[in-house]
Amino acid sequence: MPLSKEDRVRELARLVGIPIAAEDIGEVANRFESLVQELERLNDLDLADIQPVTVFPDEDS
Amino acid sequence: MAGLDIPFLSASQTTKAIRSKQVSPVEVVRSYLERIDRLDNKLNSYITVCREEALAAARLAEKSLSDGNALPPLFGVPMAVKDQFWTKGILTTNASRVYADFVPDYDSTAIARIKDAGAILLGKLNMSELAMGGTQQPHWGIPRNPWDLERSPGESSSGSGVALAANLCAASLGEDTGGSGRGPGASCNVVGLRPTFTRVSRYGMTPFCWFFDAAAPMSKTVEDCALVLGAVAGYDPKDPYTSRRPVPDFTSHLSDGVKGLRVGLIRELHNHDDIDPDVKRAIESALEVFRGLGAEVREVSIPLISMAGAIFVGISDTEGAGTHDEILRSRHMDLDPASRTRLQAAALVPTKIYNRAMKARVLLRRQFMEALGQVDVLASATYPFPPPKHTSLTATFENTEQVRARFFFRRSYTSPYALTSLPAISIPGGFSSGGLPIGVQLGARPFAEETLLRAAHSYEQATPWHTMRPPEAV
Repeated sequence: MPLSKEDRVRELARLVGIPIAAEDIGEVANRFESLVQELERLNDLDLADIQPVTVFPDEDS
Repeated sequence: MAGLDIPFLSASQTTKAIRSKQVSPVEVVRSYLERIDRLDNKLNSYITVCREEALAAARLAEKSLSDGNALPPLFGVPMAVKDQFWTKGILTTNASRVYADFVPDYDSTAIARIKDAGAILLGKLNMSELAMGGTQQPHWGIPRNPWDLERSPGESSSGSGVALAANLCAASLGEDTGGSGRGPGASCNVVGLRPTFTRVSRYGMTPFCWFFDAAAPMSKTVEDCALVLGAVAGYDPKDPYTSRRPVPDFTSHLSDGVKGLRVGLIRELHNHDDIDPDVKRAIESALEVFRGLGAEVREVSIPLISMAGAIFVGISDTEGAGTHDEILRSRHMDLDPASRTRLQAAALVPTKIYNRAMKARVLLRRQFMEALGQVDVLASATYPFPPPKHTSLTATFENTEQVRARFFFRRSYTSPYALTSLPAISIPGGFSSGGLPIGVQLGARPFAEETLLRAAHSYEQATPWHTMRPPEAV
């Protein structure tokens, strides 16, 4: 049986090692699920040849 | 000085009045302190007012003036700064109980530079906790928008927007990770600039996402913004990512006009189904102004921009959770509930998702640079709606659809410039039918701040919006 979004967040938080108060679980779960769902839309993009960078060099200007 | 209503002067007018001895630096500081005392109890724009320090600095400025010394560009200008900038010997809270007693032992580079440029530090300004936005229970009070006290002044440099709109400082330094300077600019009818990412040092500025955070000049006029940018820009060995490019005089071409300038309306933002009709009309009116000034206006397409809000949050919040990891582990209950749950959710994002967002950011930059090959300046709304009520921004999320609608949508307007490291400015662009400010956002190529400021100044001088005064700060 798949985990509920709240249980998934509890399990991830346990693995990451951050405490989440019981009253915050629902809110954290909504935020997390929404973010993951939005970013899953990126799966449709062809990003294979792209190198991620943190700072664009001056010469790219 | 009879005839001068000092707090209503721009920074440029203020320093000119001081240089010509129409008014003294002490008079200027006192007039602002009086106004802060009278109005800020209801507006909550300041966390710390540096009363004695400002008066002492003003007395030194008076002596410098009488001694005939060379006067720097912001001489005598009372500035207040977001409480994210570290200030030597002065409380720096980041609007968080976690930092409630934090007093740095040095000035951030940006603060040192505005002081070197002659500005007088008037105080430290309220903000969203840790520069995140959405704070539900602000520890130093809710910053109130002087255009309507129930409306948000924008996030997260909220105090900067409020203090400028209410004439409680002459100029400000905010900070802009994904729109935190431009958003309050738009919401409060003032100017907010996000410079090219490497243009201004972040040394001594409490970080959230170190490769998006940017010091943001905020001001009453575009000319003031150019003055403040000139003061803070340039290489800093303490922030090795700052560019070694020379810093131009950003005021020198302000009045050159926009004849022949190519302005590109970003189609995907302007035609979004959920943009407020008043905002849409204001942007179309702004484009007509540009046409009337001789600019060429056309549409450009940036297909990935509708995803920018999610890409931005996927990167910046994940980085922010790392930046504040120690707080998340040991002091999370000292955080505001909204900051806490947002950081906790971000701390759980898998690396593969973060990595895709980082790649998508590069693709977005390519699309921006292609668009900026067709035009000189990009245009859109700064926020897709007029300032909403405080309560609509801080309510708990009941489901994932609410997160999408409230959290990602508006960030798609401002965050693309953070994702792409490009400069962007928000300028007053009119008012909604309900009398609330609307911001016009302009963006440009890397290091093209002169073009951006010239376009913004031309529009500002052709419109009355920046001269309007808010009803709650007369």
